[in-house]
Parts: sequence; C-alpha cells; structure tokens
Amino acid sequence: MIIGGTRIRLEARLTSPRWLVVVVPVFSVLFALVVGGVFLLFTGHPPIRTYRDLLDNGYTSFYGLTDTLGLATPLICTGLAAAFAFRMNLYNIGQEGQLYLGMVGGAWAGIALAPHLNQFIAVPVVLVAGALFGAFWVLVPALLRARMGTSEIVSTLLLNYVALNLINYFIYGSRGFFRDPTTPFPQGRLIDESARFDSFGTTNTYPTLIISILLAVFLFWFVRRSNYGYETSVFADSPQAARYAGMNSIWLTTSVLLISGALAGLGGAMYVVGPAGKVDPGLLQTGLGYAGIVVAALARYNFVAVIITAVLFAGLRVGGSALQASSDPVPIAIAVVLQGAVLLFALGGEIFRRNRVVVTRVVQTAKVEA
Amino acid sequence: MNASSEATQGSHRENGATPSALSAQNVTKRFPGVIANQHVNFDVARGEVHTLLGENGAGKSTLASILSGLYRPDEGSVLRNGKEVRLSSPRSGLSHGIAMVHQHFRLVDRFTVAENVVLGSKGLSFVLQPKDIEAKVSEISEKFGLPLDPRAVVGELSAGQRQRVEIVKALYHGAEVLLLDEPTALLAPPEVVKLFETVRVMTSAGKSVVFVSHKLGEVVDISDRITVMRDGQVTGSVKRGEANAGQLAELMVGREITLAPRRGTLDPGDVLLSVSQIHLSHDQSQNRPNQPNILSDINLKVCSGEILGIAGVSGNGQRDLAEVISGLRQPNQGEITVCGLPIVGLGARATRQAGLAYVPEDRLGTGLAPSLSMVDNLLLTRDRGFLVDRKSAFIEAEGFIKKLEIKTPGPLTPTRKLSGGNAQKVLLARELFSSVASRVLVVCSPTRGLDVGAVEAVHALLDDARKNGKAILLISEDLDEVMTLADRVLVLYRGSIVLEAQGIADDLERVGQAMAGLAS
Amino acid sequence: MNSNVWLLTFADAISIATTLILASLGAMITERSGVINLGVEGYLLMGAVTAFVIGDSTGQLWLALGSAIIVGAAMALVHATLTVTLRANQIVSGLAMVIFGTGLSQFIGKPIEGKSRPVIIEKIDFGVLSDLPIIGPVIFGHDPITYATWLLALVISLYLHRTRPGLILRATGDAPATVDAQGVSVKRIRYVHTVAGGALMGLGGGWYMFARAAAWNQSATTNGIGWIALALVVFASWRPLRAIAGAVLFGFCLQVPFTLQGQQINILPSEIVSMFPYLMTLAVLVGLSTPRARRLLGAPKMLGQPFVRDER
Repeated sequence: MIIGGTRIRLEARLTSPRWLVVVVPVFSVLFALVVGGVFLLFTGHPPIRTYRDLLDNGYTSFYGLTDTLGLATPLICTGLAAAFAFRMNLYNIGQEGQLYLGMVGGAWAGIALAPHLNQFIAVPVVLVAGALFGAFWVLVPALLRARMGTSEIVSTLLLNYVALNLINYFIYGSRGFFRDPTTPFPQGRLIDESARFDSFGTTNTYPTLIISILLAVFLFWFVRRSNYGYETSVFADSPQAARYAGMNSIWLTTSVLLISGALAGLGGAMYVVGPAGKVDPGLLQTGLGYAGIVVAALARYNFVAVIITAVLFAGLRVGGSALQASSDPVPIAIAVVLQGAVLLFALGGEIFRRNRVVVTRVVQTAKVEA
Repeated sequence: MNASSEATQGSHRENGATPSALSAQNVTKRFPGVIANQHVNFDVARGEVHTLLGENGAGKSTLASILSGLYRPDEGSVLRNGKEVRLSSPRSGLSHGIAMVHQHFRLVDRFTVAENVVLGSKGLSFVLQPKDIEAKVSEISEKFGLPLDPRAVVGELSAGQRQRVEIVKALYHGAEVLLLDEPTALLAPPEVVKLFETVRVMTSAGKSVVFVSHKLGEVVDISDRITVMRDGQVTGSVKRGEANAGQLAELMVGREITLAPRRGTLDPGDVLLSVSQIHLSHDQSQNRPNQPNILSDINLKVCSGEILGIAGVSGNGQRDLAEVISGLRQPNQGEITVCGLPIVGLGARATRQAGLAYVPEDRLGTGLAPSLSMVDNLLLTRDRGFLVDRKSAFIEAEGFIKKLEIKTPGPLTPTRKLSGGNAQKVLLARELFSSVASRVLVVCSPTRGLDVGAVEAVHALLDDARKNGKAILLISEDLDEVMTLADRVLVLYRGSIVLEAQGIADDLERVGQAMAGLAS
Repeated sequence: MNSNVWLLTFADAISIATTLILASLGAMITERSGVINLGVEGYLLMGAVTAFVIGDSTGQLWLALGSAIIVGAAMALVHATLTVTLRANQIVSGLAMVIFGTGLSQFIGKPIEGKSRPVIIEKIDFGVLSDLPIIGPVIFGHDPITYATWLLALVISLYLHRTRPGLILRATGDAPATVDAQGVSVKRIRYVHTVAGGALMGLGGGWYMFARAAAWNQSATTNGIGWIALALVVFASWRPLRAIAGAVLFGFCLQVPFTLQGQQINILPSEIVSMFPYLMTLAVLVGLSTPRARRLLGAPKMLGQPFVRDER
C-alpha cells in the first residue's frame, strides 16, 4: 500500500514480542468500546455513563462481581473445552450441545443416584456424570473424524440442534423422567439436595468456581508437561511426524474431542449443582457454548488466560442485564455487541503479532517495460 | 564460465541468423545464503531439445523458473526471439509463449481433463462450450501423440496421464517453449518412451523443449544439446553425438565418480536387520485393481558395520520399503527381524525399541515437527513416560549443537527456522545418538537438497556410524551417493530387487541399466 | 380434509425454504471459493432487522430489501478482510460475526420489539392458476422473491458449472495454487464470492422478516435457520439445485410440528421431528466421507485454509 510517497508494508516477524500478547487484547477491548459507543450515541444513550454503569454492575460492585463469577463458572468450562480441541486443530463447535447434555447427565445422576449416596460424593458423582454425558455427545463426531476424516465442524454443530430439541422434548414435549411431576407447569424435576452446592453467602457464586479455576490451571500444566500434551502438540503441528513417531492418531483425535466434550459437559453439570438444580431450558438462552469458543479464541487457547476472558465476557453479560433494568434502559444486547466486536478486533490484531509494520519512503524508480 | 552463447546449430534450425527462441543472458539469482545461479548463459532454439543437466541443488530448477517467469533474475536478462522480455509471473511467461511443466502437477483433481486444460484461459467465452473445448483438447492431444480422454476426471488418472494433461494444457495456452522439470521422475519406463515420442512431435512442429533432469542416462538420446550445471554455474555444453556419459558425469559432479568412495573398514559382523519375502499390495480402498504389488518378494540382510545401499528411480517402492521396515506399515506377508526380534505387526514404537532408528526422506514435516523446538524434537522418538523430561533433552540438544556444529540461535528455536543441512543434522543426531540405543539405521535420501558442505557432513556421520558397528540401510535416488557410501548395493525396480552389486564403480553401468529396468 | 392440511404444510415448506435457499446459496458460493462462513445466523438477523427498520421508516419494500443486502455484504466484507487478507481463523471469525450480528440486531431491534411488520411481500396473483387444486397453492401461491430465488439457484448452478468465472471459482476452493499459477488472483475471487454470499444471506434475512415473521421478536426472529442453512450446504453437497430440494425437505420438517400440533396428532413429538434435518445431514456427511466420494464430491478441498503463495 502506498500513501503519499510512503510505502506501508507488512513484514513477517520471526518472533513476536511478549508485550503484544497483552497489547492486542487491550486495544481490542478499547476499539470495541468505541464501536459500542457509536451505537449508544446513535440511540441516545450517553456512552461514558453507560460504560460506567456497565463496569459497576458487572465488575466493581460486590454483587455485580459475584454474579459475574457465578456466570463465568460454566463459561470457563466451555472455554477450556474449545481451547483444548482448537489447539489441536480440531474444531469442536458443539460445546452448546455438550453443555446441555452435561446438564441432562448431571440431573440424571442427581435424581437417580444422589439419594443413595453419601453427601460428600454426591456432588462429584453429578459432575462426573455431566462430563461423561458431554463426552458421549461428541463421541460420534469424534469417531467419524478419527476413522473417516469427516469434518467435525459440521457434525458437532448439527448435534447442538439435536441436543436443543432433546431438552425441549424432556421438559415441554413429554412427561418423562426429567420433568417435575408435582406441577402441570413444564419445568425440570429437582435433584436431591445432597447433590447441590450452596452458594457463597447471599451471592450467586458457587464453589464450582474453584473447580473451574483449578481445572484451568491443571490443564495449563498438564498440556505443557505431560506426554499426552506433548503428543497433541506434535500431532497439531504435523500429523506425519506424529505417525512417524508411532503415535496413534485415531486415539489422539478421539480422546482430545472426548475430553473437550467432557469439559463442556462438566460446565452443564456445574449449572445443575449450582443455580439450577434441574434440567432448566433457561440454559438454552445463555449461549454459553458458543461464547466458550469466543472466550477461548480471545485467550489464544491458553487455559489460564481463559479464566480472564471468561470473567470479562461474563461481566459484560451481567452488567448488560443490569443496564436493561435501570431507569434509562439500555438494551442488554449492547453487551453482546461488545463481545462480538472485541473478538473481531482481536482477530484483526493478530496480524500485528505475526507481522511488523514497516514504513518506508518510496524511491521513485522508472519502470521499464519491454 | 564455459558459456554457450554463440549460437549452436539446432537440428531443425532453418537458418543460422534466426535468434534463439528463448535465452538467458548472464543471469544471476541469489537466495538467502546461496547463489542459485551465477552468470548463467543458456539458450534454446526453435525446434530444439536442450537439456539442462545437473545434480539436485545445481541451480537448474532455479534457471528454469527464471525462464518461465516464476522468479525474476537479480542480474542479467531473459530474451525471447532475441528481444528482452520482463517476465513478472508464470502468466506473463505464458503470454510470451513460455510454459513450465512442474514436477509436482498443478491440476484440480476434481475437474475433468478438459476443464483443467482450459482453466484460466483468457480466450474462453463467458459461457463455456464443453463440446468445443473437448474437441479442441482432443485435437491437441491427438496432434502431439498425447492420448487422453477429455472427459476423464483428473483425480483418477495415473502420473503419466496427468503429465500429459499438463503438457496439453501448456500447448492449449499457446506455449512455444516448454520447460519440463524432471519430467521422468514419476514415470514408468513405457511412459518415458511415450513422453520422448511426444517431445519429438513437438519439436518437429517447431516448438522448443527445455528438459530439466539429473538423470544422465536417459537424456543423451532425447537431447539435441546438453548443458551441464553445477553449483549454480554452467560447467559445459555438448551437442548431440558428442555426448559421452563419462564426460557428462564429470561435468555434473566435478570429480570422477569412482574417486574417494567411503568404505567400511571392518569386516561385517552379525546380521542386525533381516528382511525376508516381504510383499506389500495396494490399499483396497484405493479401488485400483490389477495393479502390481508395491513391493514383491523383498529379501535383504544388513550386518553390523555395513552400509547396504538401495538404488532406484523415485517411485519404485523405496518409501514403502522404508515404512514397512520401520514398522509404520504392515506388509501383506513376510518377516522382518531387528537385532533378532521379529517386528512385523508390532508397530513403529516396538520396532524402535527393538533397536531400529529411521531417518525419513521428508525431514521437516515427518522426521521433525517443524514448529516445535529442537528440544521437543529430540523427545519425539524417546520413551517419554507420563511427564516429559525437557531438561535432559535441553542438555542433550546443547551437546549436539556443539558436537555437530549445528547453526541455530538455540535449542528452543523452532526447527523450521534451520537450514536444510542443520535440520538434517538434528534429525541424524537424534536417530544416531539419542538415548535409545539403536543398532540399525534406515536412512532415506539423507542429502536431498543439501549443499555440498552439508552433504559431506552427513556422509561423514553415516560413515562414522558404520565404523561404530551400526547396520545401515541407505535408500537413495542419488546413485552417486549410494555408490560412494554403500558396501553392497541392491537395485529396486517396480517394487522388486532386480540386481545385487558390490558397491564398486565397475558396476555403475550395470546398476544404471537395472534402475532403468534393463536388468537381464 | 387431512390431505389438504398436508398440502398446505407442503406449500408452507416451499415458502419457508426461500430463506434457507438464499442463505445456503450464499454460504455455498462462499465455501466454493474456499472460505467458510459460519456467521449465517448473524447475517440473517442483521438482514431482518435492517429490512424492518428501513421498511418502517420509509415504507419502501424494495429499499428495505436492498438495505438488507448491503448490510449482509458489508458484514461479509469484514469477514473477508479478516480471513483472506489478515488470515484469521475462518471459524472463529464466523462465530464472532454470529455474536456481533445477534447483539447488534437485538440492540437495534429493541425499540421495534413486538411491532408488526411495516410492509409485506405480496404473493403474486396468478388468477385461475392460483386456484387450481394442489399445484395452485404449491406452485402458484408465492411471492416474487420466492420465484426469483428458484431462478437464482438455477443461475448460480449454471454459473458454477457452465461459465468461465464459475470454473475458476470451483478451482479456487479446490486448488488455489493452481489458480494462482494461472495468474488469477485468489484473493480477489475469495473477496468477491464471500461478499456476494453475504449479500444473499442479508436478502434472506430481509425476506424472512417480511414474508414469514409477523413481528420482530427479540429472541426468536430467525429461530436458528442460519445454522440449518449451513447444514443444508452439506446436505446439498455444494450443489445449488440440490439445495432447493433439500430446503423444501428441511422446511417441511420445520413445519410439520406446527401441523401436528394444530391437528392434535400425537404420533411423534414435534421436538423429535425437528431433529430430522440435522440427523439427515449427519447421514449425508458420513456418506460423503468415503474415499471416493471425498475425491470427487464433497467439500472444497481447501475449505478453511488461507492461501499463501509458496515462495522460496
């Protein structure tokens, strides 16, 4: 590109400096706020005040922050699920469906198993059941991908809608196991009390948050230090090298997708153990599964960074709903606009991580054509 | 430079005053770290076949790329019919009637032959007329003796047929000068004969052909002129009839091939690798019945302190043989033992544990994971346990860097940033010295694409390994390499061993004939 | 009476298929160039809300639809810039666009929530023909955009398989390096078709607003049709004419639950029927995975891969 005698050129970087890892996301957020501000101005909402309210309601007030952390809890799980698969170039975009199935699995264990269990293991059993159901939901796409090379993008996406209809069937379309038998109003049957966590005090944060954070830290360590993590890195970089070294590509592909599904399923079970206590179609409206992909992408598939981006996104959502309820109601959708814009800018910002902008004066050269 | 700038009489030249169809004058091209072409002069006349002969890395492909417009020369010029032309892309080369047929075909597998041929043609009407196109394609293919069904899907064609598609495509786009880059590399002998016939038809129709090859034997018959390159420079040029294989070979390699062969000093010891009656047939899912086996009845033994060379033209089953021996593929029948242990069916890891190390031909991508560091790559073939021990690998990497003079910013630099020679050193270091005590080494084309210094270093490493009692199976398409290093040589042709020779120069001719499928 | 109900369901399916066809044609030509655009749902929503707002303030149907087209194209331009020029991950960029589009459409749509649509697309009156039994409602009971969409599928099919630029488009998705070697700009092809695809998705959203949705509904305006359109691309194995048949089939599955409900028929729960399009697509996907099918049919080979010229 040549502007006014100056040539602007992108040059590939050999190494990307560390400070860019921070600068790109920060500027993405700032630019997104500017874009959101433009829309706010056009609709007659003062941007600065709106953003101050958003900050206050989502992050800096006590109940705002604890609501945010509560929402971030399953979002960290779906974020980890996406990061785990994406870093191996396996595009599992079925976190949404796996999350629902986790909710189903958790509710099943909470209703059917928990009454017979010691209360100390009831919660773990529910969480494990959710993870297993989540993994189950990705089993078919995983096997198809590993054995036949079928695109997991489309197959996992398709199953999201099957899962969605399944939940609707359980609650609205049938009077089966998951539906509350005590009322004609369509809602889920509550799980056993022993399988539920109490929230911290009067907040909406549950102890499952600690599990999510520990899990993120564990995965961070595990992928860097374990043989399994090493093998996935080799496979992601060069499947031929993995084959050469005698690694089992079918096992790696299948297991990575199953673990990814289990992580998303765990998020669904956490929702059951924590706020919901049942199969709750309200989860279908939250979009936590797709948001997990966004959170993971923004964290550049770094597990610990997922914690931060998940809290950022959850705060936008929480702050957004508070705005809607205020005296000058700003649509909650502004939070979603900001989320989308942050990611779009972050994607665009990647170019600066890979390339250096070189500005040079153009020396006039005569072009000779033969 | 022994330039051939004065017009040499082509076989079909009408009069001596006609300028060359295409020529390079004093062309220099540099790539980071190498001078690929240095003051090169080259020309081809109308109706002439001019061969550009040289070893891998001699600079002949670079020159062809400059002549076709893929690269621009740093110095010097390209002349078409005596007038200087600036070729900015293959497309602009084509607009001057110059087309290159690459070794790796650039075709759309799902398209029909006709669709591939006309793709990108400016002369096409907006609405395609399949009948007209097919007729035109048929016309060209008949005229030049390139039998093709214009409606066949390219993905289902053999390598030889695909090459015909590429040539027809070039002719369709109006090529007058065709540059064929290693055109026989993927062809079976009857297809080579067919190709040569086509080349003759083309030159008698007034087209010029530049034949880029490193295969000495086959080019003598087809060429009107042969220009030899070595290390980016032209070392000589001979006309038809004057060509003498020995003289050409000397021009190519700059030394008598028989000089300074490295030989094992020890008497061969115990048999460490034994392969008997290996058969490998095509994958059923490929759905290509009636194809001969990829490998049939392979028997060989390699002893401690010995290098056994496998010579052969590319695509005769070398890679498959290496993969079968290293446990990556399972043969349909036969037995393989490594240090006395039968390994068929056990897989790559168990084979490695039995004592076999393997240096694949594709070093960056298969042998090494390109984005991972040297440290991580040293871990690749180790027994790693549950947690990865990078500390010891780091120390090992530092040791290798010092010992083998590997040029790298450090052990944590991704291997794709290393030069080919240094990457190969990393790979060889791992396979020769890394913690697993390997006694058998399978090496495939270890010096392909490396510069002379790196070639020497790699050969010295292999020679040392032999002296240390390893059993080495050297599979290479570079006949010189096999003849210089190996104690014994087997020739692989169409998946069978057709000749066993002692690795001495007297056998060179017999080996060459066997490689060409002329073994008695 | 029963057959009449099913006939109407079928006619409805044909009608609802219009958005599906438009959106999947858009996704199809985008993917044919090697760019995957998962953002369809976001484009539909933005198209719908744009058409509503413009239609509401001007009362001009065609202006409203035109604006929807422009908004779709503009979103696709962002996607193309991110993925083709900046080589960002196509999947993530597509999903970002879903989120952005969902959020922005709801933000813009907040004031018009529940308001009924300002203009409607009138069905063409074919006179006697429209009154014919069976074929009357099925064939002659639609609006001009529906007929234009059928025609468009045919035109795109001819474009792909019978024209010079179509030939290059198909080659770009399969073998961009080959196209590049012919001196054709891969980037340009990808930009043009991604933007054109986005325009079709925008139109699909706008049409849906005026022809199917009674009012702007914050949470369920397009009801996930964008995702079904993506499934439809696979179901139709990247062939425009097959998309018509697939869209009608999918549309039928979408409509059947309502008919069953209306008729008080309880053979199959509607939620189960709603799963059919997805399960059928999954089956097609598996069928396309055999080695031979993969070689000859199926997804463009370089789908999702940024193109970088291989230089030494």
